Amino acid sequence: MSQDCSDEWELSKENVQPLRQGRVMSTLQEALAQQETSIHTAFQLKRQEFESKIRFYSGDDPLDVWDRYIKWTEQTFPQGGKESNLPALLERAVKALNEQKQYYKDPRYLNVWLKFGNYCNEPLDLYSYLHSQEIGTTLALLYITWAEVLEARGSFKKADLILQEGLQRKAEPLDRLQSHHRQFQTRVSRQTVLGLEETPDEEETGLLGAAEPQRTSLADLKGRGKKKVRAPISRVGDALRATNQTRSFQTPASQQLSSNPGFAVFDENSASGPEVPVLTPQPWTAPPAPRAKENELSAGPWNSGRRPRSSVNSGPEVSYPLPNFTPYVEESAQLQAMTPCKIEPSINRVLSARKPEKEEDPLQRVQNYQQDTQEKKEMIMYCKDKVYAGVEEFSLEEIRAEIYRKKAKKKTEEEMQAIAQEMDKIQRKIEELEKKLKKKEGDEQQQSCEQPPEITEPSPSFGLQGFTSSSATEVGEKQPQLQRASWFSITGDGLLPPQDPAAFFTVFDESSTLSNQNMSCSADHAQKSARCPLAVHKSSDSLPANENVSPEACDELNGTEPLAEDAIVTGSYKNQTICANPEDTCDFVRAAHLASTPFHGVVAQRIPDPGLSQSVLKENCPEAKSTPPNQEMLVCEGVYNEPLCVNKLSPIMEASLEDTHSSGGSVSSGSSLSSVTQISTMKYPHIPQKLELAHSLPAETAADSGRIIGDDATGILWSTEQRKKLLDPMPESLTASPYFHLETGPLPIIELEKDVELGNDTYCIKWKYWTKEENKMFFAIPASIPQLDAKGFAIKVYSQPIPWDFYITLQLQERLNADFDQNFSENCCCYLFQDGCAVLHRDINRFTLGDIIRGSKTITEEVILLVVYNLLGVVEKLHNAEVVHGDLNPDVFFLGDRICDPFANEEMMRALKIVDFSHSLDLRLQSRVSLLNSFPISQTPHGQQLLVKCPSLYQVDLVAIADIVHLMLFGDHIQVYQEDSIWKISQNVSNDFWSKLLGRIVNADGKSTVPLLRALRLEINDMFDSSFQGRLCESLVELGETLGELPGIS
Amino acid sequence: MAKQVGREQQGITLRGSAEIVAEFFSYGINSILYQRGIYPPETFTRVQKYGLTLLITTDPELKNYLNNVVEQMKEWLYKCIVQRLVVVISSIENNEVLERWQFDIECDKTAKDENEPREKSQKVIQDEIRSVIRQITATVTFLPLLETACAFDLLIYTDKDLAVPEKWEESGPQFIANSEEVRLRSFTTTIHKVNSTVAYKIPSH
Repeated sequence: MSQDCSDEWELSKENVQPLRQGRVMSTLQEALAQQETSIHTAFQLKRQEFESKIRFYSGDDPLDVWDRYIKWTEQTFPQGGKESNLPALLERAVKALNEQKQYYKDPRYLNVWLKFGNYCNEPLDLYSYLHSQEIGTTLALLYITWAEVLEARGSFKKADLILQEGLQRKAEPLDRLQSHHRQFQTRVSRQTVLGLEETPDEEETGLLGAAEPQRTSLADLKGRGKKKVRAPISRVGDALRATNQTRSFQTPASQQLSSNPGFAVFDENSASGPEVPVLTPQPWTAPPAPRAKENELSAGPWNSGRRPRSSVNSGPEVSYPLPNFTPYVEESAQLQAMTPCKIEPSINRVLSARKPEKEEDPLQRVQNYQQDTQEKKEMIMYCKDKVYAGVEEFSLEEIRAEIYRKKAKKKTEEEMQAIAQEMDKIQRKIEELEKKLKKKEGDEQQQSCEQPPEITEPSPSFGLQGFTSSSATEVGEKQPQLQRASWFSITGDGLLPPQDPAAFFTVFDESSTLSNQNMSCSADHAQKSARCPLAVHKSSDSLPANENVSPEACDELNGTEPLAEDAIVTGSYKNQTICANPEDTCDFVRAAHLASTPFHGVVAQRIPDPGLSQSVLKENCPEAKSTPPNQEMLVCEGVYNEPLCVNKLSPIMEASLEDTHSSGGSVSSGSSLSSVTQISTMKYPHIPQKLELAHSLPAETAADSGRIIGDDATGILWSTEQRKKLLDPMPESLTASPYFHLETGPLPIIELEKDVELGNDTYCIKWKYWTKEENKMFFAIPASIPQLDAKGFAIKVYSQPIPWDFYITLQLQERLNADFDQNFSENCCCYLFQDGCAVLHRDINRFTLGDIIRGSKTITEEVILLVVYNLLGVVEKLHNAEVVHGDLNPDVFFLGDRICDPFANEEMMRALKIVDFSHSLDLRLQSRVSLLNSFPISQTPHGQQLLVKCPSLYQVDLVAIADIVHLMLFGDHIQVYQEDSIWKISQNVSNDFWSKLLGRIVNADGKSTVPLLRALRLEINDMFDSSFQGRLCESLVELGETLGELPGIS
Repeated sequence: MAKQVGREQQGITLRGSAEIVAEFFSYGINSILYQRGIYPPETFTRVQKYGLTLLITTDPELKNYLNNVVEQMKEWLYKCIVQRLVVVISSIENNEVLERWQFDIECDKTAKDENEPREKSQKVIQDEIRSVIRQITATVTFLPLLETACAFDLLIYTDKDLAVPEKWEESGPQFIANSEEVRLRSFTTTIHKVNSTVAYKIPSH
């Protein structure tokens, strides 16, 4: 290590703020070196990274990002100051994490608050605020910091009280608090003893001052004394903090200043120290007095403080005589100093314009903010939280870009996986083909005609499917190797353009349009149908159809771009009011496009291109399409030939409509013009889409974005393919069941508030519980009885023609016999359509366990016990029947009669009902399966940790149980860590019973699950005594009221 | 004073070098004890040394202890059999080592046989020592706050074949796990060269 580089820290030692936890030397050196060269790019980048992480964090520990950001800032900006922006950062962090109850016991959270306190005018206020809010009251650090500040101000009694309280509350770590308290007592007693010793000899005070000279700042420097002239030494400092004598010694010095006219000089001796405002019990209702801040004058007219004219005149006349002494130069000054003095270049910046800020206490700001959020009057119609989340302000474009990047990344990942899958499939097909080709050399011609349908075979979950089919028809006769190559080129041309959601216009490329004309049509459709199978459409009736717009136009517009738009315009998707009156923002955004889009595209389009117009013709009559219509096509057209409306167009939009006629929406690659025209014509059909997207967005941006990737790519394909194989041919038990109905037509479109016919009955869809990949769950009532009852039907829709749920239900019934009871769906009906499957469950209470967790702030212990008891029972039954559920979460459990109708039902096992088995595995059939990561839970943080070396598939459900229990107890997902190869819960579980229960569940380690579940259930059973029943009844009545208030089905 | 002036003219002898280095240790350790708050600041008093105001302890027991160590060091320095002096600062409560000040000593053993004193101005040496002590003072900029009450230990690394004197005992190196090390300045008397380093726990990120 060279000496030069290690100098930096010493040269700037005065400019480095000490940190409690110390500094990393390398960072410090780097920071100091960087600031010298004023190359901040690296820092800026890092900061930008943190800023965007704050906005787009999707995990369940947002504090982590803040914590790292704050620590990084401390280390990187050793001088603190304006550049670090630390006070603002802390303030934001505190605001952002406001009211996050799960952090109230988190030392990191307390640390953020305490650091913030250092920048508050009155940290003591902040401490008592924290205390009143119960933030960090279980942590020793709060009491220690609080007591330290009090001690520094001399309020030993109060400091002692604070420490006492901490001890009483058993704040953690208790030993640290105790030792601090001991040390504090020693210090105090020592000072008292010293004080006692010194008080008798008052006259020694002066001596003491001389022995330990302390300078007062801004004191009179005039010499005193007759024989020997001495500058008066009156120093202050920590050394004299305890001795009161010196305090009195200082006061005359500072009082001299008050006689100074014109301006007041800030005097730190008088401002700081013992005259601390008395702590008011509720200081945040009334703001604390502003701190005497250094060198800050309120602005006023300059002329009032002018010096007398005479003195100004006399100034220049004064001639300074040459000094009659030679300045003493120290010898060592000639030598090269070991530690050269350095003038800090950044100091100059301090002198640049610094506007006087409004004096405001940051603490007060935070409190005001908290009050504001509590009584929110304004509705912010854009994502303000994202724009201002961190310290820096993000523009909407930046946010948009980030969302786009995320989406693009996800998409590419998906596509890569899909491509990989496809590759495999095609490879297999090619091999088959080759075999066949060898077999029947002579009949080559005929065979190639027969093959396409075989090649294309179902799996419509992939958009790519459409291509393969069309390409296969065209190149089927060529060599297999060629086939593969052509498939790739198609991917390149046809797939990528629609994949680019944030591009507002793409450059019109004639050649690509022409060459892909036929193909892109089917491709787009296929992709579309893959994206939202059975999309729910609201209010799409009553509008007349418009023949002028080809289905593609819809496709383009329904692509991902508006989705990104939505996130920005509607902000946090909570503002769904925007959808009720879509004309304003929507049109506004569209109009903005219109205004900014260059219109020369129109000219280009108007000149009829022979090739183009030809293709237009083709496009306009779907019968002429060269691609063979398949099922997906049918679905698409059903969906997208939906009514369109053109009545309410502005003049500009009508003008552009003409262009639509001429171009006919044939531009599949999307020129600037087409996007414009589509906007105008597609206004109405677009809105329902928008609504739906707004609904589905939170799921995507939130924690499970990763999960979706995993599921889409591996999960679905894997399970669908396997299930298809398993149920092919359909088992007899299934087809023979009186509740199994094979329907000939396609799956009816199931929409909210619409009637749907299943079997011979018509049901009115009232509620949608969830959509997961290809599964949807609805709540319906018979259309003949429009009154809404507490009970109705649950309709589970699966967009694959595989009656998996029904199969599992039947298997359970068969294997469990008598145990197949209220917890499961009895007499459910299955309707198998050509392209999907619907299962109708009767007698379902409309609320789910998820509703309880979301709806009520705290769930009483009794209810949790009841639910867990049932949960354990249900899973025990499932596992007994060798079925793994795979996706247990609060939303799949419907509430049973024990909860919804507590007085009619006394049976404890009737609290939950489970009907959905989308991710279930029948281990009797699928024993080989060991793809753990295909389960949704394995994508969650806790799932990943706990299932990493999981020996048994049953474990998946155990982890899910632990998570549900945790959700009910604390309202958030479980977090685990490993200690001595034992899994522990991060959350501090105060209740012994629950911590034991969770511990046993997460540490099951591949032991057989059924005995464990039974043991746990029996333990809970022991707690059900007569007094428990009474309390349970009370809790259930209360819960019933809460549920009644939930946004129900109107 | 006269003696010093004389020595300055004469250059550096082995005995003188040992004395300078031992004296440095005395002031250095005192500075560390004061700066790191191992003992209450009231128990220190100011002295002028190396052109700096330094603080040395007034606690008689501590003074005695340090004197003993420094005397012993002087002897070993003279014999050129000492390699390293380490000041270990550890928490009283759990004995965790929090800081480790290490002074590596390079002895020029050829000096034992030389009769001629080496040429180096005492002033230059003093300046060098001053830089080291200044750096010790400046370390507060990056060292973590010692939040618990701490005790210190002195470890001396000597050549292997040395008999352990009375009241001394053999000890482990007392390293800090996961530590950050910062090299401080060094000084040399041409016979003894002292390299200083301080190690502390890496701040958690």
